[in-house]
This record gives sequence, structure tokens and C-alpha cells, in this order.
Amino acid sequence: MINESISIFTAVAGNDTNSGKVIGPAKMTARNLNFYYGNFQALKNINLDLPEKSVTALIGPSGCGKSTLLRIFNRIYAIYPKQRATGEVLFNGENVIAPSYSINRLRSRIGMVFQKPVPFPMTIYDNVAYAIRHYEKLSRTDMDSRVEQALRDAALWDEAKDKLNQSALNFSGGQQQRLCIARAIALKPEVLLLDEPTSALDPIATAKIEQLIEDLKEKYTVLIVTHNMQQAARVSDYTGFIFHGELVEFGNTDDIFTNPAKQHTSDYITGRFG
Amino acid sequence: MTTTLNLRRQITDYGARIMATLATLFGLFWLVWILWTTVSNGLPALKWSLFTQMTPPPGADGGLLNAFVGSIIMSGLAVLIATPIGIAAGTYLAEYARNTRLGETIRFVNDILLSVPSIIIGLFVYELMVRQMGHFSAIAGAVALSFIVLPVVVRTTDEMLQLVPSSMRESALALGVPQWKVIRQVLYRASMAGIVTGVLLAFARISGETAPLLFTALNNQYWTTNLGEPMANVPVVIFQYAMSPYEFWHALAWAGAFVVTMLVLLLGLVSRALLLRKKVNV
Repeated sequence: MINESISIFTAVAGNDTNSGKVIGPAKMTARNLNFYYGNFQALKNINLDLPEKSVTALIGPSGCGKSTLLRIFNRIYAIYPKQRATGEVLFNGENVIAPSYSINRLRSRIGMVFQKPVPFPMTIYDNVAYAIRHYEKLSRTDMDSRVEQALRDAALWDEAKDKLNQSALNFSGGQQQRLCIARAIALKPEVLLLDEPTSALDPIATAKIEQLIEDLKEKYTVLIVTHNMQQAARVSDYTGFIFHGELVEFGNTDDIFTNPAKQHTSDYITGRFG
Repeated sequence: MTTTLNLRRQITDYGARIMATLATLFGLFWLVWILWTTVSNGLPALKWSLFTQMTPPPGADGGLLNAFVGSIIMSGLAVLIATPIGIAAGTYLAEYARNTRLGETIRFVNDILLSVPSIIIGLFVYELMVRQMGHFSAIAGAVALSFIVLPVVVRTTDEMLQLVPSSMRESALALGVPQWKVIRQVLYRASMAGIVTGVLLAFARISGETAPLLFTALNNQYWTTNLGEPMANVPVVIFQYAMSPYEFWHALAWAGAFVVTMLVLLLGLVSRALLLRKKVNV
């Protein structure tokens, strides 16, 4: 059933019905992916390509498994002993959920930003430099420029440049979230996972983050989970609709929102449930 | 019908409030009385010579210098012994054994250790060290006190680390930083104020402990900093002097009690300030 839906969407995209966009080459690929919380199966046989240097959104009602799916890509679920995944997630040809794949190497290449901004209890500078220090020995000037670049890329430099040695806890929620993005991209990852990054923010801060996501796709492959369908429509190039642990439909965002192939997708998007 | 019901509820509410207030006043009454006795007897006995002279023989003049120094040495040593072990064990419980049966068991055993009567700890260390060494010693006293500090530090470290939101743990681990570094560099920093508070409160607790020292450090009328010898300490001196028939010894005991009480009060205030500052920050 899932394979069937994928083929339909490749076909839809190939027909160029609405958007004129073709799904690009995949940066990461999930194959026959299942996920379990203890005995409960939260994801069933997911097959999904994350197209390179574009924004992919996962939408679906609460508890459908969209965050669960996102959390597989950097194996953050592995912190919790009772959670496990089966199947494959391919990244540069390697299966990253195999135990033999180094978890720290994986996470240094795949950045993640969470729902609630959580700055570390240290200065703004140290928040950004923290992970770099673990991987690279940089001179003071090199580190300064890396931190500056990350803050610029996260559209935070102007607000942060005079406060680098102040506690990050003094920032507003929106600033803290951009700091978390800066912290993640400071490692120069290839993929960025955003787990409802604006759900704790006000509309102005949300708009800033959405603008930032637009800019980020020039350098990174972005996967975003959102419960806000307008946000998915605004920021993403591709959208996957997840329901009851299954990927119901995946395709160009324009197609999914204007001309969904599945009744379920259409019902969700038009607000009949969820 | 409703009015009578309402009235009954109001009366019940009023009664409950009066009972609760009376119970609070009853508890406070004794506390204030104890503090008042300590202050009114201790303050007049407070003299500069208290901190400059040794404990006197009957009939002579003196102070409590050797007892203060002995207490500081043994309590400080106990904190130094127990804090690293306690923080490591608390970290194990909160970070590595969370939600496991083993972790729950250890936590339970630690809670028992937390409430073991201190005289039993004194007897245990007497068997463990004093009997083996053949004599009382300051180091045995410090070890006995460290058994009191240990479970307090384990408990606070465990609780303070559990209070750190799991999102902070996840954010740090998501950067690919190994767990031990995340604990050391991020989680300890986030829970530092709480852990330090626990250590301070444990220090306050042992500064007045008498029973564990009676069997281990005993007491010493003279000045010593030798850890292998019996050592003077404030609680045991208070105990001996208060039981004596000499008026001057009574005064010294009150003065010692006053100083220890003020120290405990000060440590309590400092730890409250630390926790409060943390709340403002986070």
C-alpha cells in the first residue's frame, strides 16, 4: 500500500500537474522503516526520500507518528532503552540505524532543533562553540569566525554580537530558538531536523524562523515536523502526510495541498478531522 | 437546603483552618523556645577567648578553639570524602539507571541510609576502624560523618539531575557529544546550585552530630591536627560540659551551641539564596 502511494506520487510529480517541480535526488532514504515504543508499533513500513537541499514537511494529526519519524533520522530515540527501529535509513549509502554506525558521527552530520528552545546554561558564544570544541581544535580567531558564521546563518548575529559573553538564558524565546538553530548548524551538518520549531513561539518570532528555513535550504536538507498546515504550505517544497503511523501520501507541497490523491489527505487538509 | 449545606461547608472549612493554624503555632512554639534558650544562654557566654583558647580543665579559664578546629577538620574531611562519591552515585541513578529496577532498588537503599540513626553509624565505624586501629582517631570520626553526608548528596544529585528537562539532555546529545561530556559540561552546570545546596545542608547536619563522634573521634582536651589521634569537636564538648557540675563549663557549652546554631542558620540561608538565584536564572 505504501509502495503504491509512493509510485502514484512519483507519477504525479512526473506529470507536472501543478507545480512543475520534480522530486530531486534523495539525501536520506527510509526503507521499510518500523518503529516501536516497547510493544506498541508507532510507525509501519515507512518508505520516504528526503530530497537534497530542499524543505520537506511532515504533517498529520497529534500522535500520528510524525515526530517519531523525525527522531529516527539522528537516532535520538536511542537514548530511551525501550524504543527501537527496524528497517533502513540510508545516508550516503550507509544504513545509519544499524548499531555499527557511530551514533556521534551521525549526530554531528544531522543537526536537530526541538520544539522548546533549550539554550545550555552558558554564554551565547559557548552555546554555539560547545559542540565545535568537541570535534575540532580551532584557534581563537577561527572559532570566533565559526561562531559568527553560525549566528549569521541563523539570522541572530545582529542581536547577539554585543552580548556574546552574556548568558543565553536572557534571550527571548524566538532568539533562543534561533540560537538553537545556530548551535546545530555550527557543526556544518548536511541535514537539519526541525521538530515543531515554532510551536512555542509568538507569530513574529515564527515568521522570522520561517524566513530562516527558506534560507537554510540553500545549504542544508531540511526536514520539518509541524502541526500547522499553513506553515507546511508556506515553507516546504515537499510534504508527507502521516496518519496512524503510516505515510499516507508524499509529494510536492503544492500538489498535496491543492490536489491530494488520497481521500484521507484531502479530509485532513480541508479540516474534516485532526 | 442549599443554605444549610453551604453553612455546614463554611463551618467545616473554618474548623479545618483553625486546626491547621493551631498545629503550626504549636510546632513554631517549641522551635522559638529552643532558639530563645540557645540565644539567651549562649550570647552572654560569647567571648573573644572562645576562639583563641583551648578547652580548659575544671576551674581554669579557656575557650573552644581546639574543638572548633577539630569540628571543621572532621566535617570538612567528611564532605571531601562523601561529595565525589555521592555526586557520582547520584549521577548513576539519574542518568544511567533511570527507570530501571536496579536504580529503584539503590535509591530505596540510599533512602534507608538517609534515615539510619547516627549512633548506629558511629558503632559501625567503631567496628570498622577504631577496633582495627586500636584507638580513637579523627579520621574515624571523619569517615563516620561522611556516611551521613553520602546519602544526602546522592539524593540531591539524583533529584537535581532529574529536574533538568529531558529536552536539554536531548539537545546536547543531538549534537553528537558523548553522554559523559554532556553530563559533565551541560547537566552539572544546569543543576550545580541544587547540588551545592545539598552539600551545604549535609555540612550543616554533621556540624551538630554527636553520636557518630563519641565512638570514633572521641574528644581531646588539647590541640591536635593529627588525624591519627583523638580530636576535639564541638558537639562532644557540648555534651561533656553540659553534663558537668561546673558553671563555667556550662557557659562554654552554651556558647558552643550558639555558634553551631548560627552556623547552621547561615548555611541554610546561603543555600536558600543559591536556589533562589537559580530560579531567577532559569
